[in-house]
Amino acid sequence: MKEIVVPGEKVDNKVESYVFKDGDSLYSMIFGVLDKRDEYGRIVPLNGKYFSQIDDYVVGVITEVKFGGYVVDVNSPYDAFLASRRKYDRGDVIFAKVANVNEVRSVSLADDQKLFEGELMEVSPVKVARVIGKKNSMLMLIKEKTKTDIYVGRNGRIWLRGGDIAKARKTILKIEREAHTDGLTDRITEFLNR
Amino acid sequence: MVKFMEMSDIVWEVKKDSIKHLIQSGKRSDGRDLEEYRKIEFMEEYVPKAEGSCLVKLGSTQVLVGVKMNVGEPYPDSPDKGNLSTSCELVPLASPDFSFGPPDEESIEIARVVDRGLRESKMIDFEKLCIKEGEEVWTVMVDIHVLDHDGNLIDAASIAAVKALLNARMPKYEDGKVVYKEKAEKLPVSEKPVSSSFAKINGMNILDPALEEEKVMDSKFTIVTIGSGDICAIQKAGSGSYKREEIEKMIDTAIKKGKEIRKMF
Amino acid sequence: MKLIKDGKRIDGREFDELRPIKIEAGVLKRADGSCYVEWGKNKVIAAVYGPRECLPKHTQDSYKAKLTYRYNMAPFSVDDRKRPGPDRRSVEISKVSREAFERVLFLEYFPRTAINVFVEVLQADAGTRCAALTAASVALADAGIPMRDLIVACAAGKVEDEMVLDLCQEEDNYGQGDLPVAISPRTGQIHLMQLDGIFSEEEFKKALDFAVKGCLQVHELQKKALKEKYENIGEVYGNE
Repeated sequence: MKEIVVPGEKVDNKVESYVFKDGDSLYSMIFGVLDKRDEYGRIVPLNGKYFSQIDDYVVGVITEVKFGGYVVDVNSPYDAFLASRRKYDRGDVIFAKVANVNEVRSVSLADDQKLFEGELMEVSPVKVARVIGKKNSMLMLIKEKTKTDIYVGRNGRIWLRGGDIAKARKTILKIEREAHTDGLTDRITEFLNR
Repeated sequence: MVKFMEMSDIVWEVKKDSIKHLIQSGKRSDGRDLEEYRKIEFMEEYVPKAEGSCLVKLGSTQVLVGVKMNVGEPYPDSPDKGNLSTSCELVPLASPDFSFGPPDEESIEIARVVDRGLRESKMIDFEKLCIKEGEEVWTVMVDIHVLDHDGNLIDAASIAAVKALLNARMPKYEDGKVVYKEKAEKLPVSEKPVSSSFAKINGMNILDPALEEEKVMDSKFTIVTIGSGDICAIQKAGSGSYKREEIEKMIDTAIKKGKEIRKMF
Repeated sequence: MKLIKDGKRIDGREFDELRPIKIEAGVLKRADGSCYVEWGKNKVIAAVYGPRECLPKHTQDSYKAKLTYRYNMAPFSVDDRKRPGPDRRSVEISKVSREAFERVLFLEYFPRTAINVFVEVLQADAGTRCAALTAASVALADAGIPMRDLIVACAAGKVEDEMVLDLCQEEDNYGQGDLPVAISPRTGQIHLMQLDGIFSEEEFKKALDFAVKGCLQVHELQKKALKEKYENIGEVYGNE
């Protein structure tokens, strides 16, 4: 059961995420979808920027070479820092894990690898989960049908290489547009089979 | 003056190659041909209180032009003619790259190129705007207000300006005062200039660049044509350079496409 | 000029009647959040960028996001063309509007960043600051910025000794007083208030009642605009 909520709207006391308490009641903080599928409801934002979470994998772009590491653009209001033995240049694209986020929201990355010769695209970070799918199911479906190598960052950045890139790109944009609808998997399967 | 930034320049550099490769194969990421305009939509009299106005959507680019009029003294060298002034505001609302402050070179260039197209085409009959020779003439003020920047602001602004002038009505002028609440006859206009801009990417000149194409282009070429097929304004912008044949080919396209756009007016 | 005749106002409205209002969320491509409002003859458009990097760096706040609000009128929005650029009135409106939002947004969640609100008045017909703030609220929600409420603004005024809701241009020009108010509908708290004119205490209370009632009605339209946008998102499938 899905319902749209707006900031300041009262919600059930069993809702987790994106809520705040005032007196004895809980209210939504954001414009989002309230999903009441299980005992606890969850609010999922309909829009918003990416904020690094520990253990997220992200697709980043090296923007500055510093002594001891690199400043990385992770499509977030907060830049990330990568201390790495590997040698990178400005403009290199990497896939890395968010290792730590401190109190002032400074981010450090680790477990980095360079992504070669591909194309970069962005989708809204709040829709990325749909592109990946439950247990990577959606992503695997796209990769299988297009034979494209795809790295999806939780930060909304996606790296594509080889195969039918144009089709992979179109599919991903379609998922982004229809992320909050039902029956998406079937429609995407049908779209990829065309 | 505060400068805002969205995607850093470096990230655009990364995207440059894939956009360039696509163009090389004669395609654009939105599926258009190299000489195809995006979908154009007009919303005339968007600001009914103004003398004239039009909101133009060129793809996702949105530009609103308002026409206001006032009475003042003529310029000393044209005592029997009204005046035209054009200005452009790139308000920060329209793009994460726009900041607030006095007009920068980009907004000034847009205003002046659009103005050139309106003025040199002789679209407005300035003599008919004379109230009392040497003393009182109408001034037409065209204000370009960019609302959403997805590329090719000059063409969108120019189309909106022409449309706004075509539907503009002059206010009444009574006892030395302009009565804005009462609009009288239409502005005396004839010609309909059309602006066509081309972005040069990998040696190819593509019409009506979208934002991502502008971000990777080497330079831009704008040509304004009128109904007869004559050219009334040209502007080359950016640091790239052109062979003569390229320019002649763009002029041919501009004249042809200009006729198509003019039909929409 | 008679502003009130036979119990009706110059534009035919009742004393406690709002002008027709239309609110649309998500109308711009580049902005992170946006909203277009038509309120009587007012036309305003609000856009939000952020949270984003706060530059120049020395203006960053290590504890929270920096909120800016810029109210601007297009040159053609008023009868006598307005020269582009901020004037004293715009600066004041920007300030009190920003202050209205400061405690409503969860700024503390985004240290070192900036949240920038821009509102352009495309056509003005009295009550632009209220239409602007109302639009800004929806634009902030549209951008996904966490807030304690969707605040909303509405003005009431005094015209020929009668308290009326939502002044139109003539009433603003020739009336006796103007009271713009912004509230948080959830708590009833007042986040913006200005007054000019002459009101007795009784008159002030009555005008405030009107303004608050007006705010609550407009709030319903704000919610509707956001919920409708979602419906449109959901309807896109099948068009490939």
